[in-house]
Amino acid sequence: MDSILEGFEKALALIWALDREMLEILLMSIRVSGGALVIASILGISVGAVTALRRFPLRDTLVGVLHACMGLPSVLVGLLLYLILSRSGPLGFLALLYTPSAMTLAQVILAFPIIASLSHAAIISVDPIIRQTARTLGATSFQAARAVVHEARFGIMSAALAGFGRAISEVGAVLIVGGNIAGFTRVMTTTIALETDKGNFELALAIGIILLTVAICLNLCLYRIQRRTVVGRR
Amino acid sequence: MIRARLIMAVAACFIFACVTGAGAATDILCSSTTSTENSGLFGYILPVFEQKTGIKVKVVARGTGAAIEMGKRGDADVTFVHAKEQELKAVKEGWFVNRHDVMYNDFVIIGPEDDLLKIKGIKSAAAAFKKISAGSMNFVSRGDKSGTHVKELALWKTAGINPKGQSWYLEVGQGMEKTQRIANEKRAYTLTDRGTWLATKDKDRLQMVIVLEGDKVLFNQYGVMAVSPQRHKHVKYAESMQFINWLISKEGQAAIGSYRDKLGNQLFIPNAK
Amino acid sequence: MPLGLTVTDIIKTFEGNRVLDVLSHRFEAGETHVLMGSNGCGKSTFLRICALLDHADSGRLVFTSGESELPADLGLRRRITLVLPRVGLFNASVFYNIAYGLKIRGIAKSERIEKVEKVLEFIGLSHKRSQNALTLSSGEAQRAGIGRALVIEPDLLFLDEPTNSVDLKNVGIIEKIILTMKEARQPTIIMATHDRSQAGRLTDCRLQMNDGKIVGCD
Repeated sequence: MDSILEGFEKALALIWALDREMLEILLMSIRVSGGALVIASILGISVGAVTALRRFPLRDTLVGVLHACMGLPSVLVGLLLYLILSRSGPLGFLALLYTPSAMTLAQVILAFPIIASLSHAAIISVDPIIRQTARTLGATSFQAARAVVHEARFGIMSAALAGFGRAISEVGAVLIVGGNIAGFTRVMTTTIALETDKGNFELALAIGIILLTVAICLNLCLYRIQRRTVVGRR
Repeated sequence: MIRARLIMAVAACFIFACVTGAGAATDILCSSTTSTENSGLFGYILPVFEQKTGIKVKVVARGTGAAIEMGKRGDADVTFVHAKEQELKAVKEGWFVNRHDVMYNDFVIIGPEDDLLKIKGIKSAAAAFKKISAGSMNFVSRGDKSGTHVKELALWKTAGINPKGQSWYLEVGQGMEKTQRIANEKRAYTLTDRGTWLATKDKDRLQMVIVLEGDKVLFNQYGVMAVSPQRHKHVKYAESMQFINWLISKEGQAAIGSYRDKLGNQLFIPNAK
Repeated sequence: MPLGLTVTDIIKTFEGNRVLDVLSHRFEAGETHVLMGSNGCGKSTFLRICALLDHADSGRLVFTSGESELPADLGLRRRITLVLPRVGLFNASVFYNIAYGLKIRGIAKSERIEKVEKVLEFIGLSHKRSQNALTLSSGEAQRAGIGRALVIEPDLLFLDEPTNSVDLKNVGIIEKIILTMKEARQPTIIMATHDRSQAGRLTDCRLQMNDGKIVGCD
């Protein structure tokens, strides 16, 4: 018990002192996961919208596949991505392995199905009267679709936040394709894993506290958005 | 509308950030082992090398097997491990060139404080292993094809024992520190490198002691080798050779020899020829 | 210019039932037409077809502006609008809702603000412009729905049960809005209601819908 409290004390001291290494790691996490959020959102929301608003052959199959992919084990994604990005692999010429870009790619693969599926669900659950109303007001097909997506915006935001949550708490895949290189591809989660293995609990705890704070803030935002989705529903 | 513009600007920044950042053209990638990385040696000597040459060495630490494999796949430019037999084999097969001895430390056998098997006093490591195989106490193996693991398997072979599958033999597939901690929990014996032992025994509050040391077979030789540019045209051969040459130079060797861990122990003894 | 509408031989079948049975009628431009009928007799279906929201199984719709017949393109569709019984307000401010029709027509922001404010005043909801539309009372929601329709200055306005489940005070307000438009003879209004006395207040000729057809005034 002693060591835990001691660890906490030292961890808070590190945070307070804005330890340089810790800040570097924090920034890298934001950069990697932020990039993943942007890319996965653009792709995910587009795909979610298209599958919700249009009929096309194999649509239901696609939606089912996306749903299933939400449960992709991250280490598996890491392994496959590693084999693909390795110099001996098909995309080796891109020299992406052991770079932050590879880590972003891994997180995009993991977050995209979540954002797509949840956006799809949010848009599909919009009352059909919205589309009809837009049409009666003279909207073209495309404009009416936009009105539906706009109506689902809170659900879509939730989807994006959920995807981000998945990305930022990811360890396995980013460890494998990133290599956890000091000063180069170390993010919060991989550092916690490494420092825990090394027995350096202070730094691990410090980073852990920050990560926890991020996760909590994220979920608070999610909660507030959910509430706005329901307001005024009669 | 301002909010939308702002969001788009931030998004653009992120996309930009993640497509760039592959590192400078003279950076090289070195695959090494977790124990070497965790010892802190790289954090100490690499900045010196970078100061001198401007070349940044990025280290990916895996188990020895994976580190060598990385070199073979061309995912690294240079490999720095401690498994001489495997290294030489890989060089023979043409995957690497210019292998050099760099430094050594030694392995020790550690066990619970009470040393119920009375390993202390035995001089030969193989004999100690034979005693452990009697089975009343556990032995924890790294089981991860690391240099330590390879050395351990060689010792079993010398002792004429096949430990695989035996109930007292625990293969954990982990790095050295974790393996020690597991041995500690299980009150078992294990083979470790002195560097890791010294660096972690107090920190991890291990209730263990060294029960055997000094046997010449426990010598742990570290070597460095460049990935063959014949096998992988893209490797940064020139920079890798600069690194290797520096490591075996008087300056590099002095740097290695002067490295002390947090407790003031010298972890590696330079021995390049 | 208010539009006239001629429907000829409209047939619409739902699950084997002929809801609209060879229905023909001429709605004169500039007038306010009130359609009555019991619940489920097909009034809503009819309005939706006339407003080009649904298709009839067979029959013809001809929209006229003055003497000329209008082709059924986007231009025409943007001159007619329908306020549904549930209204279908967006989860956004009242202002946003009302401005929507103008936004999709590409009207510039300053002009949008001007028109929306005018309509807000006309329907008496200026003080609620920033409020979320889903928090309005049913009467206010109906008014907002009408406002949303009016801001685009339609030439033909369909109202489906505009005072259904609306409190008394708002019924009065909404009827007053309709009468104001009736007097101005702009737009042409075709509305459905099951409230006889309301129909009587709004028109002399209450069109009756029976057995899928429109029979004359009563």
